[in-house]
Amino acid sequence: MRVEVDGRGVEVEPGATILDAATAAGSYVPTLCFDERMAPFGACRVCMVGMEGADAPVAACTTLCREDMRVTTDEATARRIAAATVELVLSELPEPPAPHTELARVADFLEIGEPRWQGERRRPSHDRRHPYLALQHELCISCGRCVRACDEIQGAFALTATGRGFGSGITAGLDSGFTNSTCVSCGACADTCPTDAITEGSLLELASAYTEEPGGGV
Amino acid sequence: MSERFEATTTTTCGYCGVGCRLEAHRADGRIVSISPAMDGPANKGHTCVKGRFAHQFARSRDRLTAPLVRESGGFRIASWEEAIARVTEAFTRIKAEHGPDAIAGLASSRATNEDCYVMQRLMRAAIGTHNIDNCSRVCHSPTSFALRKAFGLSGATGSFDDIEAADAALLIGVNPTQGHPVVGARIKQAAIRGLKLVTADPRRIELADYGQLHLGIRPGTNAALLNGLAHVVIRDGLVDRDFVEKRTEGYDAVAELVAAYTPENVEEITGAPAAGIERAAHLYAEAERACILWGLGVTEHLYGSECVQLICNLALLTGNVGRPGAALLPLRGQNNVQGSSDHGALPDTFTDYRPVTDDAVTSAFEERWGVTMKRERGMKIPEMFDAAVDGSLKAMYIFGEDVAQTDPDTTHVIQALESLDFLVCQDIFETETTKYADVILPASAFLEKTGTFTNAERRLQLVSASAEPPGAARTDFEILTTVSRALGHDMGYETPSDVMDEIAEMTPRYAGISHERIGRAGLQWPVAPDGTDTPILYTDRFELPGGRAHFAPLPYKPPGDQADAEFPLILVTGRRLEHYNAGTMTRRTGNLELMSSDWLEVHPADAAALGVADGQEVAVRSRRGMIRLPARVTERIEEGHVFTAFHFPEVRTNLLIGPSADVNTSCPEYKVVAVSVQPIGAERSAPAPARAEPMVPAD
Repeated sequence: MRVEVDGRGVEVEPGATILDAATAAGSYVPTLCFDERMAPFGACRVCMVGMEGADAPVAACTTLCREDMRVTTDEATARRIAAATVELVLSELPEPPAPHTELARVADFLEIGEPRWQGERRRPSHDRRHPYLALQHELCISCGRCVRACDEIQGAFALTATGRGFGSGITAGLDSGFTNSTCVSCGACADTCPTDAITEGSLLELASAYTEEPGGGV
Repeated sequence: MSERFEATTTTTCGYCGVGCRLEAHRADGRIVSISPAMDGPANKGHTCVKGRFAHQFARSRDRLTAPLVRESGGFRIASWEEAIARVTEAFTRIKAEHGPDAIAGLASSRATNEDCYVMQRLMRAAIGTHNIDNCSRVCHSPTSFALRKAFGLSGATGSFDDIEAADAALLIGVNPTQGHPVVGARIKQAAIRGLKLVTADPRRIELADYGQLHLGIRPGTNAALLNGLAHVVIRDGLVDRDFVEKRTEGYDAVAELVAAYTPENVEEITGAPAAGIERAAHLYAEAERACILWGLGVTEHLYGSECVQLICNLALLTGNVGRPGAALLPLRGQNNVQGSSDHGALPDTFTDYRPVTDDAVTSAFEERWGVTMKRERGMKIPEMFDAAVDGSLKAMYIFGEDVAQTDPDTTHVIQALESLDFLVCQDIFETETTKYADVILPASAFLEKTGTFTNAERRLQLVSASAEPPGAARTDFEILTTVSRALGHDMGYETPSDVMDEIAEMTPRYAGISHERIGRAGLQWPVAPDGTDTPILYTDRFELPGGRAHFAPLPYKPPGDQADAEFPLILVTGRRLEHYNAGTMTRRTGNLELMSSDWLEVHPADAAALGVADGQEVAVRSRRGMIRLPARVTERIEEGHVFTAFHFPEVRTNLLIGPSADVNTSCPEYKVVAVSVQPIGAERSAPAPARAEPMVPAD
């Protein structure tokens, strides 16, 4: 079917999402909870776009295309929602996201500087018991990607979302760390994490050799 | 991501035969991280604990970084000139005194296609013997033999994508979530989404928990099970008559043979319940599209090659070959088991399995290389060791293989190595085998070389160097072409790409292959001159005379070893997730922290009868030898059987394995060994970490 994204017409297969159409049309839509290897989740509300005929912006990753649909990726309300959401996420973190992370790129794209809200921030809490995988709980934004990667790509079912609100995060096994869970150390969680909440320990050491010791510690 | 890294190189994993495409990231002039390539056809943005994390071994301090030559009982560092001069002098002298067939070479299923091709050319053209083999001899040579007999070509009939396209799949003698983790994950995800999975194995493998049905069969009884499944398919009218009539030969003989394999009789032999055998046959045969996957649990037996032929029978009966979702997928052990054999590193065949006895083929290579060659095949690996012991084989060139650790009947192998006048080893570490060498040449790891690997889907994929060999170590391509030149046979290649061009020129089925065409997507052979590749074989004809596939009426025969009063248990050996074969690579990484020692899996009933507690040290004896390791009591293994892996030199599992081997291909019977198990010492609560070799940290 044919849809129009930012004034450009593209052909998409039935079942394609607005995000697929935008990608095909060459329009970048920021995302945080999306990973093409997994089913769309629709949780982060960062991929909001304007859709002709809709009362409010819609999430591009979970909205299916319809014939002759017209989409504006930089529609003002949609972008305001996305930016406010990301700004709220950043306001909880103890430090700005590392430049290589997806979160940093999305924040750059939406031109978010220092968050306006200066409330409580998460405290560093690290788990380095696994030889390769490092957990930095304070960087978790509860996008659910690691949990879904563990379930949908690997099938180890080792990770779980826990806690509520400000205290939400993820845990390996029964909070027993990766090595004492059903984890098979495939690394899919670290690969998909948009913030380095789960990353390779050796890369943290590499980074700290070049920058000042980041706030926090074990 | 890119800001953190100086450079990123896309390459192909050097662990198992799945063929994951990887991105190797460099910083500080070394590889600091590996991530999966999103467009990898086999891995689709995923990889495992080995491919992603276990790369420190390449930077290990005990890498070989200079040639070593034997001197007064030990080794000393030598220049490349001296080391190569020693090799050429020894080979030239032995060839003059005893003829070229007194020399033999082993290529490696971990090396690239180009390295393997150059190695077989070195043996055939520079030395003048067909005594060249590779380690696929000890894993999937029965698969290769049987697929050629039944269908015509030596390779999977389809691709891993067929797993997702299938409605049902039969897994026999394979434990993918441990041995081939990324395909294991793909199978598991497919099963969660509705693929009807049947597993048959002496162990209750992880995927059994995601399947419709698990058949716990006695080791060595695969043939009875497969004939029993065929029996039910025929008895219950599930045969694809049209397919059998139009595309196959030999149905009647199979129908006659399997008549006696009633589910009840097969239950008697295999231990799997008759009702389960009937249900498995229906699940497979009633599916619109069904795949069969197998591993070394099928091949490493006295009649391993025949069992693969029986697998082919089942596919032919139901028309489950040559269509999407209907594939036969042998899971190949090492990264390039497929390619090393495809490219002529075998004693009886040149590239594409064309026999040395075929005058036209051998003549073409003679003309291309400017040499003359015999029309009789050379020695297979076990024959080489026998010939070394009896004195007719004088020298060996062993490239990338630790035969003293991984081959069966270790005592005999060591006797063979000690009997040689001259042994040259080319490797990245000192190994059990290099202890017997006269010259050790320091070679390169897969992260340091350029060329191609062929995965279990017949897919050639590019290997690109992302690091340099350490110290004076060189790439295998450079070493082998230099040795050949020193022996008076200049191969004339400048790069591995030139080697592939020669392979394509000399091999009609590979005619369209070039490094440039392989690109990021890979090419599945056969590849037409215009570059069209073949994800699915046999869509309209089989590659046998007349275009028809061949049924094989082969009865069940008992395995080579049997339990008796003295050795009442059957040992099965295999792989574990965290480690890889001899452990040469994975034991030099953080994977050792994840699994630091091995254990023997024992069923609770056997453990109670033997007085073995969980974690207790036991002695395992076979007719060949004895090893010690801790026991782990688990219901995952069938009663009457025990299991361990072969990753740790301090355990030396292969001391237990005898000379019994596949009747057609000499692939060793690693999977059925009668043993006794006795507790030793006091009970302990958990397996103690055994670390005979200290782990050497990276950098």
